[in-house]
Amino acid sequence: MIYTIKSPALLIIGILMLIWGGLNNSGAVDGMQSYLQKSAYGDHMKVKEKFDAEYRVAKELAASEGNPAPDMKMKASKFDHAKADQAKLSNIFGSAFVLIGLFTLVWKPQNGSLDYFVSVVPGVAYILLIAFIVRWGLDPVFANWGKAVKDSGTLSWDFAKIFNLNYVVLGIVIGMIIVNIFKIPAWAANGIRTARFFLKTGVILLGTLYSAAELAQLGGLSVILIGIFVLGSVGIVLFMGKRMGIPNSMTAVLSAGMGVCGVSATVAASPVVQAKAEEIAYTIGTILIWGVGCMFLFPTVGHILNMGPVQFGAWAGTGILNSAQVAGAALAFDPHGIETLKVAEIFNITRVLFLPIIVLWLAAWYVKHEEGAEKVNLAQVVVAKFPVFVLGFIAMFALSSAGTFAPAGHYQGKYFSSSEVKEDKLLKGKETRALDGELTRLREPDGAQALGKYLADAHVVSDGHNVMTAEVYQALGDLAANRKMTTRQQSDILKSVAKMEGFDGVAKGSIDNAVKAATHDSKNIKEYRNWIAWLFAFGLIGLGMQITGKALKQAGGAPLIIGGIVGTLKAVGSLIVVLMFVKEFI
Amino acid sequence: MEPQKFERGTSLSIFVSDRREDFSALIFAFIIAFGVMLTTS
Repeated sequence: MIYTIKSPALLIIGILMLIWGGLNNSGAVDGMQSYLQKSAYGDHMKVKEKFDAEYRVAKELAASEGNPAPDMKMKASKFDHAKADQAKLSNIFGSAFVLIGLFTLVWKPQNGSLDYFVSVVPGVAYILLIAFIVRWGLDPVFANWGKAVKDSGTLSWDFAKIFNLNYVVLGIVIGMIIVNIFKIPAWAANGIRTARFFLKTGVILLGTLYSAAELAQLGGLSVILIGIFVLGSVGIVLFMGKRMGIPNSMTAVLSAGMGVCGVSATVAASPVVQAKAEEIAYTIGTILIWGVGCMFLFPTVGHILNMGPVQFGAWAGTGILNSAQVAGAALAFDPHGIETLKVAEIFNITRVLFLPIIVLWLAAWYVKHEEGAEKVNLAQVVVAKFPVFVLGFIAMFALSSAGTFAPAGHYQGKYFSSSEVKEDKLLKGKETRALDGELTRLREPDGAQALGKYLADAHVVSDGHNVMTAEVYQALGDLAANRKMTTRQQSDILKSVAKMEGFDGVAKGSIDNAVKAATHDSKNIKEYRNWIAWLFAFGLIGLGMQITGKALKQAGGAPLIIGGIVGTLKAVGSLIVVLMFVKEFI
Repeated sequence: MEPQKFERGTSLSIFVSDRREDFSALIFAFIIAFGVMLTTS
């Protein structure tokens, strides 16, 4: 069988990509990019204004001294980097596709591996072109639109965030639109079958983002509470799915979505249990609909029951399925404070960190149930059928925890390092004087009493013990002397103390600046996130192209019923547990 | 997408088996992971 189809499509896609790369390099699409990269463009303009002013002064000074205008260049901004990245990717892939496209037009394909793998390229290019449009175009357009609607007051919430209208969901939807309305072109059919491979690669890489250190930093209660509800939800969905006779792959992928963290868990678990594209779409639909309902219902219930921020945060972080909706519910409950949001996020992150455990469980469950464990030796089946890429995910998680890919103590891609604080970020004289002044005030009897009361009332804790006033004095004194944070503990203590009522504004600003200067983004984690985003965008567009209306009808309504029952059990169960225990423990 | 006949691979994958797809993904992921590590450090 000859797979390569002679078509100019690959060449055209390559040329389109090269044109986009060229337009970005020349600055011809800066107007469009300034809308798409709104926040980066805002920062860029601020930096540019500052640079222009500095340049004007330097030029006037040079002119007054009779020297030529100085050779100054503005430092590349986030906006410049974003454009350069788009140009780089477009040029790399565009050039490759033009070359292979020309080759396929003149080449006489013969039966064999070369023909087979060359025929894959047009499909890859087709999905990649759509992925570019989704990630660089539709994703920011929807994000801007959601924000604009919220800012205008038409809606009190950001619909793009709440309905998760990001590249993940948009990718699947675009894929579905293409296959159901326009049909897949024959020249792309072979390459579209690479979607699952790229999705698996993305799942393995996902392991780099998690670390055991993150789990260790979270409170014991959140781990226990989330553990019970995550494992419980997964177990109930698996049980109900078997009882209701829905396919194992559908049951397993739904259990990951309902138990762990919504859309990303669904995507991560899907190749583990060989879920069909329509099963993934069904699960994501169920989670999003259920989550949006919870987001509106939870704050109302929270107010009726007169819940505190910690209680509500714990409940929302446990009972709601999707990260954006957890944040939405927390902010709806407590729009002016961040306490609820902070607690909800801790619970939410804990849930996400259960993903490796659930992936392993589902892999073993699926292998056992697909093969019928009563008839065959489970160990043999596991060896023969266990998805190897899951082990890759676990290996990445282990390597990341050991600090191979990012600093071992990183938290959400950020880490503390005093030695990396740059010279120009050290505190200035005015700031250290404000800190000294605050230290003197807090040492006086009234100040010391107020500080002691604040530390006790706010439960300021460091390294597992309640912080004493002497530690605050030490931390403040050290900061003023060293002009930077030297330890994470010092940073944590001062961050809490700066929130104290009556704390001097300049001293608070100094603490914020010192914390910011000592907190660094892990470049590796940022890169991994970028790779994962591309791999998922690619894989999900390809999967979307396998979802037909007919297939969705065949999936039936059972997943929605199970999702509704388990979602209700989780929401009500977590509410009861939170009301009973949370006040005492936190 | 209507199921299409391919002599090689399946209707969902270009690889002849899931194991081969898994190993290929594993190798590709490790290349990316260590590639990123080397280029950013």
